[in-house]
Amino acid sequence: MTTALILLLLAVGAYLVAVIEAWTVSGRWQLAAPITAGIALLGRESIVPRKLDRVFFEVAPVLLLISALLAATVLPLTPGLIITDLATGALFINAALVYVLVALLMAGWGPNGAYAMIGGWRFLGQLIAYAMLIVMPVTAVAMRAESLLTTQIVTSQADLWNILYQPLGFVLFFVAAMALAFLPPFDLTTATSELAGGVEAEYSGVRLAVFRLGRLVLVITLAATTVVFYLGGWQGPWLPPWAWSAIKILAVTALMLLAGRVLPRIREADLLNLCWKLGIPLALLNIFVVGLQVLVWP
Amino acid sequence: MTPELFPALITGAALFGIGIYGALSQTNLVMLLMGVELILAGAMVNLVAFWHHLHPDTPAGQMFVLIVMTVMAVEMAVGFGVAIARFRAIGSVEMEEAAELKG
Amino acid sequence: MAMISAQTFFISFFGLAAVWFGVVVFRTHSMMRSALALLFSQTAIGAMFIGMQAEFLGVLQIMMMATEMSIMAIFMVMFMMDPGGLGKMDMTHQKRLSVITGLVAFVAIVAVAVFTDWGPLAGSVPDSAQQTEDLGLELMGRSMLIFETAGLTLLTAMIAATAVAVEPIKRNRD
Repeated sequence: MTTALILLLLAVGAYLVAVIEAWTVSGRWQLAAPITAGIALLGRESIVPRKLDRVFFEVAPVLLLISALLAATVLPLTPGLIITDLATGALFINAALVYVLVALLMAGWGPNGAYAMIGGWRFLGQLIAYAMLIVMPVTAVAMRAESLLTTQIVTSQADLWNILYQPLGFVLFFVAAMALAFLPPFDLTTATSELAGGVEAEYSGVRLAVFRLGRLVLVITLAATTVVFYLGGWQGPWLPPWAWSAIKILAVTALMLLAGRVLPRIREADLLNLCWKLGIPLALLNIFVVGLQVLVWP
Repeated sequence: MTPELFPALITGAALFGIGIYGALSQTNLVMLLMGVELILAGAMVNLVAFWHHLHPDTPAGQMFVLIVMTVMAVEMAVGFGVAIARFRAIGSVEMEEAAELKG
Repeated sequence: MAMISAQTFFISFFGLAAVWFGVVVFRTHSMMRSALALLFSQTAIGAMFIGMQAEFLGVLQIMMMATEMSIMAIFMVMFMMDPGGLGKMDMTHQKRLSVITGLVAFVAIVAVAVFTDWGPLAGSVPDSAQQTEDLGLELMGRSMLIFETAGLTLLTAMIAATAVAVEPIKRNRD
């Protein structure tokens, strides 16, 4: 029952992400556009390249969708609404989201095409950059909550949200989450103007619909993760918990999608430079500062 | 005979055997490293099985597995560094050509 | 047939999956499939850890091995001659020796595992949250020296690997 409800909420969330993304691009609210685009994709012919790696080609979009869904199973939307409250929930989210990389490598190698392959390997280069920046702020968050349970992480923010307690961690996690979901400005993987669509280039029809759906679910899962870790989950003054969760998740999604409209696409070398020379020392500083804070203000 | 341990221990033994086959039979350095990964994975499966069935109250068993995971990562990193240097010097990482120290 | 518990069933299932993927690693001709088969073998091993109620180790294994094996995949594509596997090359040497050694090792370990009396089985396993806390206290308390040594070893390995892999500077500039 809980599972069905959360899946339904994720589907609605994916739809809203598509609407918000269309709004950031064109400025108009096209509420029927995602549904008509989805139906059109399902009806189109599936063009399959010659001499492809059939296993990888078929599995990649499904694995992208599954890994995003698995990461969403440990996120609490309201105090009782969580599919499985794993004792190592915060770490499980990272473990599930790494399979986004595996899915994109498969999608890159499978179609036997140059653009797709370059897009896939570019995502691996991006992972080297953002992987530490995703895990280290989560360490600082778990330090404050003294547990890896996601519900415990939310309740530990009852007096002060983590965005104010550890702002540096929030910025790093937000940037790394955008890089994980290959949103602009980190979208070298599916660069429409440069790589003719990159990993998405050789997919059409049903598989492209599943790929795009997987990407939308990934964006909303990452927004929900940011809200759980840094924005206090369902806590708020007057509205019921589910309303606060929904508002915060949609606000974070809009922020993630808007940020790509104002920044130019970042090259691999620059991203690696920034993340390793600036990002990781800042993440270590964040852990150190949060450790001091946790000891001084109990 | 303690049959509760059998599935995990036999799996560990099978992974170890496949890993040894890989480490001895492959001519390419990268495939050889994959064989070594399988050997270490077999050892880890055995460790966790012993921890779970015989000493679940001692976290030191899990500590050992963490150290083995660290060793896997370190050995892969240094191995690939050596592979890059060799590839730059010779042009291939085949074991058949690595029989002498010269060059 | 005796009633096998769900736990034993899951451990056996994932164990079989791990061994099957391990065999695929060395049987397939495509290098990319070989690397990803190793990845899924390690994922099955992580699932075995979760089945044996070592939840932290299982999740950690799944996370780390996905990253490591993906990096191994790109190294395979860089250094191997036929990454797509369409040429069906045979890249093995000393075949009989390696098969015999592998089989002897397997049989010997299975014999030791089956015929030894491993002592009394423990009662119950502490729950996952308690395990994570105990592991953390153990890391920071009794095994602090091991932890620090591992950290230093990792740092040394990082610096050594980077130093070995960096392109040497060409000294004859004019």
